[in-house]
Amino acid sequence: MLTKTESIVLKTRKYSEADLIVTCLTPDKGIISAFAKSPRKTRSRFGSSLEPLTHAKISLWGKEQSMPKITQSDIINSFHELRDNFHDFINMSKLSEILIALMPEAAPNKKIFSFFLSILALIKSSEEEPKDALFIIAQARLLAITGYAPRLKGCGKCGRKSQNFYPDSGAILCSKCASSQYVRLNEAPLKIADRTLGFYTHSIEWPIVTSRRLKPHKDTLTELSAVIDMHLKYLLNKKLHSSSFLAGTERE
Amino acid sequence: MNSGIVENLINELSRLPGIGRKTAQRLSFFIIGMPKEDAVSIANAIIAIKENARFCRNCFNITEDETCSICLASRDKSKICVVEEPSNLIVIERTGIYKGLYHVLLGALSPIDGITPERLKINELVQRVKNGGVSEVIIATNPNTKGETTAQYISQILKPLGIKITRIAYGLPIGGDIEFADEVTLSKSLEGRKEM
Ligand SMILES: [Zn+2]
Ligand SMILES: [Zn+2]
Repeated sequence: MLTKTESIVLKTRKYSEADLIVTCLTPDKGIISAFAKSPRKTRSRFGSSLEPLTHAKISLWGKEQSMPKITQSDIINSFHELRDNFHDFINMSKLSEILIALMPEAAPNKKIFSFFLSILALIKSSEEEPKDALFIIAQARLLAITGYAPRLKGCGKCGRKSQNFYPDSGAILCSKCASSQYVRLNEAPLKIADRTLGFYTHSIEWPIVTSRRLKPHKDTLTELSAVIDMHLKYLLNKKLHSSSFLAGTERE
Repeated sequence: MNSGIVENLINELSRLPGIGRKTAQRLSFFIIGMPKEDAVSIANAIIAIKENARFCRNCFNITEDETCSICLASRDKSKICVVEEPSNLIVIERTGIYKGLYHVLLGALSPIDGITPERLKINELVQRVKNGGVSEVIIATNPNTKGETTAQYISQILKPLGIKITRIAYGLPIGGDIEFADEVTLSKSLEGRKEM
């Protein structure tokens, strides 16, 4: 059966001599993996249309249950500017990795698709350098939209005001709830500054364009980024590849 | 149904890239029909490469000795051409145009797959440049996202060393029509145009 859909390439993996397995986000099928014959040959008809972050219209061929084959791909927006900027590409890779890790395969979600597409467009048009604030807001919103946001607005159990984040609960807890026998905690909490909590809440509740106007302090971004990384590490039971990559290359 | 040893050969052969089950089956039956000496010589060649092939300690090309024949030859030692895999080096050598040395990274950077700079031979490249005598590093990683990310990273860390860093040109495939080129390839070819 031949189906046509829009797609955003999240990652690719070499397969056999010149083939690729492409993981992409689609509005009507969710995240899918598809096979493409020979795109790595320099004269392939796919051209650069299967490179990561490309927004394209693709044709898929295949039976249900088996991996579909991409028979055609026409670029809608290549977003090559994002691949040409080292820093932007690593940060976008992190968003792709979070999405692949949190979103179940083949679960259609139009909202996530349009969110991801809007992030690509926003990063492409932004002239800020570096775009750290934008990327961290995007991470927070991606967690919120997939239903995995850490609960940082008051104690996750009773709502009382607190600044202590417990990664294994994915939430802020007040001292009373944290000491309750029903909560088993393995790690000491992370104390988060009030302005970081404020910025986070704003980021997930307001449109991105509004949040970026807040011009958060560098320390706020560093702190929020660390909280999100810690939260993800607990959620996924592993450190994200792109987080390690970012940490390793940023030092230089 | 094939017997155990035939099935085994088919399975082993189909582990090779570009060889599907059908091809593996065809090759297996071809091998069965071959004179024994010919089949043994194929098997020995495979064993020999696994026992004797290693990476050149200087450039990480594949060699039988500590240093590869390219590093030992009298070539322009002021130029280093950086490639992802030994197979890329062979293709560039075949052009006969390049007379300098190489550096094989043994992969390309990929943040989403956790392929970090430490997993490639990048530090070794920096060390070679620091050792002196190098005036130009030509980055010939693949013209795709991983290759481009690698090229950007390498140029970033080599820049402070004050040498010339170049990237192979993006171009249209020869023999093709502009009409069939995609927008990214075409825009990169325009950016990299040459005066005539
Ligand atoms: Zn509480
Ligand atoms: Zn060598």
